[in-house]
Amino acid sequence: MASNDAMQAARPRNEAEETVEAIHRGNVDAVVVQGPSGPQVIMLQGADAPYHVLVERMSDGALTLDADGCIVYVNSRLCALTGLGAQELVGRSFASLFIGSVPQQRADDTASDAQLRRADGGDLPVSVWMRQMAMGGVVATLVTLTDMSIQRRAEEVATAERFARSILEQATDAIVVLALDGRITHASWVAEQLAGRSPVGHMFSEAFALDAESATQQSTLARFSRESLDQALATKPFHGVEVRLRDPRMSGRSFLLSAGPLVNDAKDAVGSIVTLTDITERKRAEEQQTMLVAELNHRVKNILAIVQSVAGQTLRTAPSLPAFNKAFSGRIQAVSIAHDILTQTRWIGIGFNELLTTVLAPYGVGEGRIVIEGPPVLLEARLVLPLSMVLHELATNASKYGALSAPLGQVTISWRLRDDRQRLELIWLERGGPLVEGGGSRGFGTTLIDRVVRFDLDGDAVLAFEPEGIRCKLIFALTAETTPEHLPASAVQPD
Amino acid sequence: MTAAPMEQDGYNLRLYVAGQTPKSLAALANLKKLCETHLPGRYTIEVIDLMKDPALAQRDQIVAIPTLIRQLPEPLKRIIGDLSNAEKVLVGLDIAPS
Repeated sequence: MASNDAMQAARPRNEAEETVEAIHRGNVDAVVVQGPSGPQVIMLQGADAPYHVLVERMSDGALTLDADGCIVYVNSRLCALTGLGAQELVGRSFASLFIGSVPQQRADDTASDAQLRRADGGDLPVSVWMRQMAMGGVVATLVTLTDMSIQRRAEEVATAERFARSILEQATDAIVVLALDGRITHASWVAEQLAGRSPVGHMFSEAFALDAESATQQSTLARFSRESLDQALATKPFHGVEVRLRDPRMSGRSFLLSAGPLVNDAKDAVGSIVTLTDITERKRAEEQQTMLVAELNHRVKNILAIVQSVAGQTLRTAPSLPAFNKAFSGRIQAVSIAHDILTQTRWIGIGFNELLTTVLAPYGVGEGRIVIEGPPVLLEARLVLPLSMVLHELATNASKYGALSAPLGQVTISWRLRDDRQRLELIWLERGGPLVEGGGSRGFGTTLIDRVVRFDLDGDAVLAFEPEGIRCKLIFALTAETTPEHLPASAVQPD
Repeated sequence: MTAAPMEQDGYNLRLYVAGQTPKSLAALANLKKLCETHLPGRYTIEVIDLMKDPALAQRDQIVAIPTLIRQLPEPLKRIIGDLSNAEKVLVGLDIAPS
């Protein structure tokens, strides 16, 4: 019993001895001590060696602070971030590491943003995590610093990627990116629509079956086999080959095929960017423009011929230069008004009533001195200029010598359709003007009316100088049997 | 960590470690080797990490780490250290060398 007691008493001593011996021999690397809040594990020297290696290898900066906020340990990453050696950092105050506000430990264990001061005078955005720890009765603070410039760059790259993606999505051209082997790696929304499916992963020639627009360009395209076209598009710049897609959904549509190299940071080509631009509308517009230029050229020549002719004839009949000036200006004004009408009506034509109102506006058509009566008639564009000139001659004559020269004079313009609506008969009747003396004048005005009605309007003009006033009857065809391509008769010089 | 089902005459062992310190790792490796050699199919090992819960040290009055406790068969025995001396461990656990 006594021996048992002795053994019991000896046991703790033996254990204590064993513990001391194990520590002494280095067989243990941590001990448990009674701390204020229960047992605490204290690492013996060397036990935390693996953690040191890990901390040294960390991609984040790490440091330990003593209770006074003085740096007692830094890892190599922190040295790299600050540009200072460990010897320079240890012993410094934590606050000296930063520009601006000094980060503090947060209650929610999250990191805070700060600007780390660098040895080169610059600074670095960092995210700082801190935690205070009691280590064997000593309070220390563990700190990690994450270089946010890397993350910001990554965010910038991600933003650039999103930016590029949205350009690709919103581009109105079909854009595909080819790898060097001709396989499609990216495609815009429009490209997907053209291909009728997602072309990504397919060879370009599989996704888009092409025919050249013209024979010469077909030969350009035919120089390439299917495989070599993929190869050429992926590796060589390609500009402006007009193509059609064989897909029946795209029949009648023209595309411009272009390719340019896609280079990496080292300026090496890593593929190409191929675009298919829908130029159907552009081609249509070009064709229309060519037609319009030809038409404009034709019309300008006509106008010049008319002006030349009017000038020549006015000069021949004008008694003086001021008279010439007045007559010529009036006639050119009539031509100008006619052209305004044609432009405004886009050369489609105009109602006869509207033509009369416009041309005769300067002579008091709205004041009751000119009365207009007749059924609605739509005039073809080709009738506008000759009718304007005839009406101008009649109105000028009336205002100078006829009904419009007297305060109570009146002109009545009436018309009707005849010959199965093929022809129009117009009566210009002047009353209330000065007494017309027999014969009247057959000056240029009447000559011009005769010629224009006969040649340009394919009709007849009968001018009667009645004593009460002029009566002029015009009969002309409303529709041309064939479209005359010759110059108007008003442009033809008289014999 | 359980290496084999318990038997009536089996060894129920508890190893106290502190995270992955070198001695803790060595002790676990040495213990497993020894058990497989001398107690195949007759032992269980429970590993207790005091870094995660230091309060567990109170149960077996652990002072140094690593420490091995033989819970069964009784009486309770303890061996401190990394268990690198196999002979001493066999004696300490009352295991006859096979």
